[in-house]
Amino acid sequence: MKTQRDSFWDKIYELAQKDRDIIVISADMGAPALDKFRTNLPSQFINTGIAEQNAILVASGLAKEGKKVFVYAIASFLTLNCIEKIRVQSGMMNIPINIVGVGAGFSYPDSGPTHHLSEDIAIMRAIPNITTISVSDEFMAEKIAIDYKNYNNTYYIRLERQPDGVVFNSSDEVDLEKGIHLLSKGKKTLIVSNGNLLFKCRDIIKENKFDLGLCDLYRFPINLESFKEVVSNYEKIICVEESFLPGGIGSAVLEALSDLELSIPCKRIGADTKNGYCYSYGGREEIHKYYGFDTKALTKILSEA
Amino acid sequence: MDIKQLEEKCLFLRKKVLEMCLKAETGHVTSSFSSIEILATLYYQGHIKNDPTDEKMKDRDRLILSKAQASPLIYTIMADLGYYDMAELDKFAQKDGIFGVHLQDTVPGIETTAGALGHGLGVASGVALNAKMNRELYFTYCLLGDGELYEGSIWESMMFASHNNLNNLVGIIDRNFLCTTDFTENLIELEPLDKKIKAFGWNCHIIDGHNLEELNLAFQRLRNRPSRKPTMIICETVKGKGLESMSYQPLCHGVPPKGDAIEIAKKEIGL
Repeated sequence: MKTQRDSFWDKIYELAQKDRDIIVISADMGAPALDKFRTNLPSQFINTGIAEQNAILVASGLAKEGKKVFVYAIASFLTLNCIEKIRVQSGMMNIPINIVGVGAGFSYPDSGPTHHLSEDIAIMRAIPNITTISVSDEFMAEKIAIDYKNYNNTYYIRLERQPDGVVFNSSDEVDLEKGIHLLSKGKKTLIVSNGNLLFKCRDIIKENKFDLGLCDLYRFPINLESFKEVVSNYEKIICVEESFLPGGIGSAVLEALSDLELSIPCKRIGADTKNGYCYSYGGREEIHKYYGFDTKALTKILSEA
Repeated sequence: MDIKQLEEKCLFLRKKVLEMCLKAETGHVTSSFSSIEILATLYYQGHIKNDPTDEKMKDRDRLILSKAQASPLIYTIMADLGYYDMAELDKFAQKDGIFGVHLQDTVPGIETTAGALGHGLGVASGVALNAKMNRELYFTYCLLGDGELYEGSIWESMMFASHNNLNNLVGIIDRNFLCTTDFTENLIELEPLDKKIKAFGWNCHIIDGHNLEELNLAFQRLRNRPSRKPTMIICETVKGKGLESMSYQPLCHGVPPKGDAIEIAKKEIGL
């Protein structure tokens, strides 16, 4: 299984050989495909050093002049350190920068909370002209790269650090516009998740033979039409996310239900801000335990769903 | 345009800026006044090539106005150059107008939205880098306020531009020595500013930012790319230049004259 990072950058490298307008800006982040960029396409590769704010600003200047720019850094720094730059450049001027951040959720579990990413969905989706894609697997990462010419606003591409599994069989299956994908149908209750926890839910459902629907909600703002199509037939929704609850996936789902005037009870499972930031080490499961959705706790929640 | 004509143009701009800010009862008069000779030299002495009939002309020179509070000035210049009708100035910050107190990229002739400080030099670096990548010859200018230099992102961009040999980028600092609440050297010392900028790999000159001949000469040199490095011109200015009543004093930022000060200001610039 390929990492989302390698899948994405390998494809961008391939495309960049034919399109000299593709520019990669790295804030001192590497990847094997980026090494190839540096060696074989040096005029299309820029390293700003650990200066994420400047990386966003330079990207904006280049994109304003027509370049297809991909800025790359650890996601928590690229979003939260640069949010006001992003707000003006992408939000207000609608300059299409592709913000590629690695480290969705607790992808860097033992690095501590500076590297955990629990607020970005809430913050990025509050800004106009930004599409957030919380990437599910290597095929979606590849699809985002393939479609790069179609983006007329900023895309925030949120990559998992390690591969957890695959949702799709090929990039052809991925529909980025739709932004939602049903993995299992179930009967009365639908679990809505993405990223690492999506795979955890899938494993729990499979292992315990729970009769639950499971969907991957990977695009924000939510495509209401596709969302309605998927959720309408369920009697209950449970959102499971690594984000802090305010503004996160569950919040977005509640807003969508409200906008669609759908009365489906919805419960949110995620990081409660009253528990603050997590300093537990020993892997992602330990952090899930701290916030109350480790495998054992989540199995109990899903068994009662 | 000869120097005398340019002096007259600067006086015209001062009158227009004061007029529009008085009418709107808002706008940064003093921040605009300190930049008047700088922008007048750039736009009326041919240092910025542009065309009001072809706003997005590919080889136009770009001005990124990072010091967006000087918007009444740039909006006046754009009107004077023919990007839109002068009557628009009367609607500054009004409900039926096309622009407000800070900078908006939707206004004809304006490159970027700005108002949050610390953005311009990085964006200008990207714009200049694009020219290098495409082998295009346009120049990118970036006008910064000196108070803006407290923003850390400016120095990130400073390192980036010199490392990438952006000699098609010209930074201009409106060095009026005043922020909102105090003089810069009382707030947090910026000096020795030229040495700091040189240490970041730029060429750097200090000139009198109200001397039209010095300004013209400083910009004239650069089109030949005499150095591989970008150039920063520190223009020493007076915040509120032309209005003694509003100069050399803190707390004259972002507000037009009020009450009795209105007539005093008008008289000072012959309005």
